[in-house]
Amino acid sequence: MQTVLMGHLGLRRQERLINAFAYLALAGAIVIVFIPLLWMLSVSFRPNIEVMRMPPTWLPEVFTLEGYAKIFSNPRYLLVFFNTALVSLLVTLISLFLGAMAAYALARFKFAGQRTVLMFLITTQMFPLVLLCIPYFRIFISLGLYDTRTSLVIVYLTFTLPFCVLMLRSYFLNIPRDIEEAAMVDGCSRLGAIFRTLVPISYPAFIGAGLYTFLLAWNEFLFAVVLIESWENRVLTMAIYSLMAEFVTDWNAMMAFSVLASAPLVMIFIFLQRYMVQGMTAGALTS
Amino acid sequence: MLLALKRRYREEVLAISFLWPALLVLCGLLLYPLGDVVRLSFYESNLQKEVWVGFGNYIALFNDPLFWKSFWQTVVFTVFSVALHLVIGLGLALLLNMRLEPAFRALARGLLIVPWLLAPTVAGMIWVLMLAPFGIVNGMLSSLGLIDANFAVSWLGDPSTALGSVTTMNVWRAFPFFMVMLLAGLQAIPKQLYEAASIDGATLWHQFWHITLPQLRSVITTIVLLDSIWTFRAFDPVFVMTGGGPAHASEVLATAIYFDGFQKLRFGYASAQAMVMFLVLFVVSAFYVRRAMNANQ
Repeated sequence: MQTVLMGHLGLRRQERLINAFAYLALAGAIVIVFIPLLWMLSVSFRPNIEVMRMPPTWLPEVFTLEGYAKIFSNPRYLLVFFNTALVSLLVTLISLFLGAMAAYALARFKFAGQRTVLMFLITTQMFPLVLLCIPYFRIFISLGLYDTRTSLVIVYLTFTLPFCVLMLRSYFLNIPRDIEEAAMVDGCSRLGAIFRTLVPISYPAFIGAGLYTFLLAWNEFLFAVVLIESWENRVLTMAIYSLMAEFVTDWNAMMAFSVLASAPLVMIFIFLQRYMVQGMTAGALTS
Repeated sequence: MLLALKRRYREEVLAISFLWPALLVLCGLLLYPLGDVVRLSFYESNLQKEVWVGFGNYIALFNDPLFWKSFWQTVVFTVFSVALHLVIGLGLALLLNMRLEPAFRALARGLLIVPWLLAPTVAGMIWVLMLAPFGIVNGMLSSLGLIDANFAVSWLGDPSTALGSVTTMNVWRAFPFFMVMLLAGLQAIPKQLYEAASIDGATLWHQFWHITLPQLRSVITTIVLLDSIWTFRAFDPVFVMTGGGPAHASEVLATAIYFDGFQKLRFGYASAQAMVMFLVLFVVSAFYVRRAMNANQ
């Protein structure tokens, strides 16, 4: 009896020790993971002469908003933000709309070729995107769409649409079809029933898929490099890259730009973390 | 007759009427371009004129040491990235799954996801700044006494460290994906399994080895396959941080294809390279697709 009790107490202590270790290790991990992010913030608030000083200082000696001022006073940079937001929003809306339609067909009807369609959708997510660059470049030149924001909205669908279809389908599958059928008996058309019952119920899936799509479109780089030439049509990722190539030493402006480019996503994430994690998990498992 | 046919294929007709826009877009965006690349890989092309060369591009490719260099570097980049994603992701997921304050757990998970939200371009640029000869990495290492402050390492400019530096950045940016997926997997393991095991006197290590890992196997296989595919085709980290240099020391397939096509204007040669990459990915994808299809049935 006594030994059992001792053993039990020992376990308790062991558990408490392990738990304390978990808190410490996680705190340590957060610090390490945040070093690059804090460095980005710190550099964005210091004058350029302080950037490459040895030994480096964690906090700026002179606090300045010069980097941010350079971004906000230049209409070219502001246009880039507008372009990115516009392209990402359009891609998200189109992907969700077309994706929901296809997902509905895949979740509600049985038809020949369903397996093939599903397989095709899963396979498309594995495509090497750099392979597509070559034909896209040639096709958009011959269509007269090279160097337009429209071309980006179109090609981003390559990787956002299959994801939206698969995620929405798996959500629709878990919603009993009686709900729409009841609405249809009550005199709704099929489309009316979908919009009045299925879509409102599935809002978490729409938010999750939409956020993930928005993130992918906002952060895309390769197609933007290949398909866009002029400054008026550039998006953020590409503008950041060309800034780095053009002004190698203007680090505070570049870091300010990076902070501003990441801030919208981080903000959205803070408020909608639950849905975003859902989208992330579903994106990989698609089941 | 027509009515009977319509009734017979009612589901098909309805399904097609919802499905066609998405399918049309995807076929136009994927199948047609793929055909175009296949065709182009048998030509010499610089956009102005095209000359049929048969398997010429492929033969040249397999005799090109630069192609093999970028191929193996892609493999190394992928293997190290995925392995480290898995180790770090699993470690953090296990920590997050312990008996913590729910608020602390939510906060820690949220904070640790942040690198994954950043564009690879942005993340790459932060690391370029940090890894510069007078950057913070050298600063920290020399204040720890690990390197001599007067002989600052040029991490991205030195052929022996360039690929490793890019890999490090990629590990930092993408581990949260593994962490989130594995945490979801851990939370799905029935608690009774552990209770039964600890009554039987199994140590924590035994529990991890005989319960946790087997239960996570399916999630691990899926995300390892996915991440391998994503990393193998990755373009942004290398292009932004090193441009494949110095002297191709960090070249991967995606950047090699880009440079061959869009800088040297050898579109046929670039297409042949893209086809090789496509075939490699196709084989890996086949495993993933089979798993995903089973999960979808």
